[in-house]
Amino acid sequence: MQETKNLSLPERLGLVSYRNQAKSEIKPHIIVDTDICNSTCPHKCTTYVCPANCYTMDEKGVVHFQVEDCIECGTCMYACDQGAVDWNFPDPEIGRGVTWNFG
Amino acid sequence: MDEKFDCIIVGAGVAGLAAAMTLARNNMKFLLIEKGEFPGSKNVSGGVLWGSDLAKLVPNYWEEDAGWDRFINHRRLTFMDDQSTFSVDFKSSHFNETPYTGVVVLRSKFDRWLAEKVEEAIAESDFAMDSFIATNILVEEILMEDGKAIGIRTGEEKFYADSVIIAEGVNNLLTRQVGLQDAYVPADHMLTGIKEIIRFDQKVLEDRFQLNGKSGMSNEFVGFATDGVEGGGFLYTNKDTLSLGLVLGLKDLREKGKKPYDILNTFKKHPVIADMIKGGEVVEYSAHIVSSGDKRVMPKKLYSDGLVVCGEAANLLMNAGKAIQGMDYAMRSGILAADTIVESKKAGDFSDSAMKKYQDRLDDSYVMKDINNFQDAVHLLHDPVMTQKVPNLICDFGRNFFSIKNEPTKKARTMLGDSVKKHASYWDLVKLGLKGGKAL
Repeated sequence: MQETKNLSLPERLGLVSYRNQAKSEIKPHIIVDTDICNSTCPHKCTTYVCPANCYTMDEKGVVHFQVEDCIECGTCMYACDQGAVDWNFPDPEIGRGVTWNFG
Repeated sequence: MDEKFDCIIVGAGVAGLAAAMTLARNNMKFLLIEKGEFPGSKNVSGGVLWGSDLAKLVPNYWEEDAGWDRFINHRRLTFMDDQSTFSVDFKSSHFNETPYTGVVVLRSKFDRWLAEKVEEAIAESDFAMDSFIATNILVEEILMEDGKAIGIRTGEEKFYADSVIIAEGVNNLLTRQVGLQDAYVPADHMLTGIKEIIRFDQKVLEDRFQLNGKSGMSNEFVGFATDGVEGGGFLYTNKDTLSLGLVLGLKDLREKGKKPYDILNTFKKHPVIADMIKGGEVVEYSAHIVSSGDKRVMPKKLYSDGLVVCGEAANLLMNAGKAIQGMDYAMRSGILAADTIVESKKAGDFSDSAMKKYQDRLDDSYVMKDINNFQDAVHLLHDPVMTQKVPNLICDFGRNFFSIKNEPTKKARTMLGDSVKKHASYWDLVKLGLKGGKAL
């Protein structure tokens, strides 16, 4: 029997059933004021604490956010102490978000 | 549906479903609203549902082959360093007796099954055609009038009721909207849980973990599991999968600059864990915030005029070292919330003082008694001495104690002393002992 290999994060997220995937336009349920991340935030912690890596830092150190991979865990809402994250639940019809197969 | 309900419940997780079941059995007219595609579709737990309350909602649930995965008759607490594990292990056929001491559940399956049971109870109630479980609806606002909750709003639609039960889960936006929780909740006493579901051939799983029929095992880990971050690991046996994961103190994670999935990778590569999960296939990766059981983060008040808050929305969750309890607290608080609504309906009084009886009931129940009595234990478990130094010294002692070297053997007490000196100090342990004495 094989040792169980660790999956990469994209492989892990590939196992997630996201909602409204067929829709080209979705309404983001989290709005991030990245101007705050990129000006006054001393830690930019969302770029590493987010379990789905929705917050990334490019080679110039600029923080970017994408909502498509979000698994609605809530981590960023608590981790961000700078007021940059406006967190809501996704709209069932026009939002993203998850349907867990196991949970 | 333009008539007024006796009650609107927001959220069809364990708390909301327990409340709904209780309302249906008491012939109340209610609306249970769930934002997910089906009940359980947005819920993540470890997860073991501890205790016997499930039998109150679904009598003889153990005769059914659906909903829950396995009952627990085998418990293990494991201290871990980078190469070793040292476990306290308890297995007993006493735990084969019903009602079980705990059942392992997967929420997407369990909550959906429990919701079917609620539907059955609705069908047998006086309001078979007037009480509903409505899915795919996001409640955006609790409607308030003169300080009293009068219903909810979703999009342009409004629904009205004499009372509202908020069972929306830990990310309690509505609880914040009505002012029972601060608008911003800091990371300090919250944890990020991450988990993988790992699938096996059922026989392989049963042989590997010595499972018999529907028996199961729960294993918690402290030490190396979390790679220096406050928190712990868990492993539960489901029917043909394992739930393997971590809960990580969010403030500590932020300060240490670590990524949760990197820590999970390190945990899974530990030689003891690698042996446990060998040959398994990861079929789901999930994450969710959990509260810690630290009272400092809990809403100060769990009711207001026409409104009560239960389950994780009220941050009713605790790990005091014995087990991670959350779903059982959710279930009991949901039942007590519904009991209060039923009583209020009879008296025709849904005022602030009527709703306070929910808080009184909760304070008198094991839920708040345990949370109040074990605050010191919660703090102790989040002490870095406990989460790092103690597991290292226990494993170091284990390695020496269980090594046979064909040399004169040191006394166990001397070995223990050596391990303490290497990994901590007596002063650390004295401080821990004082805290521990207080906690227990």
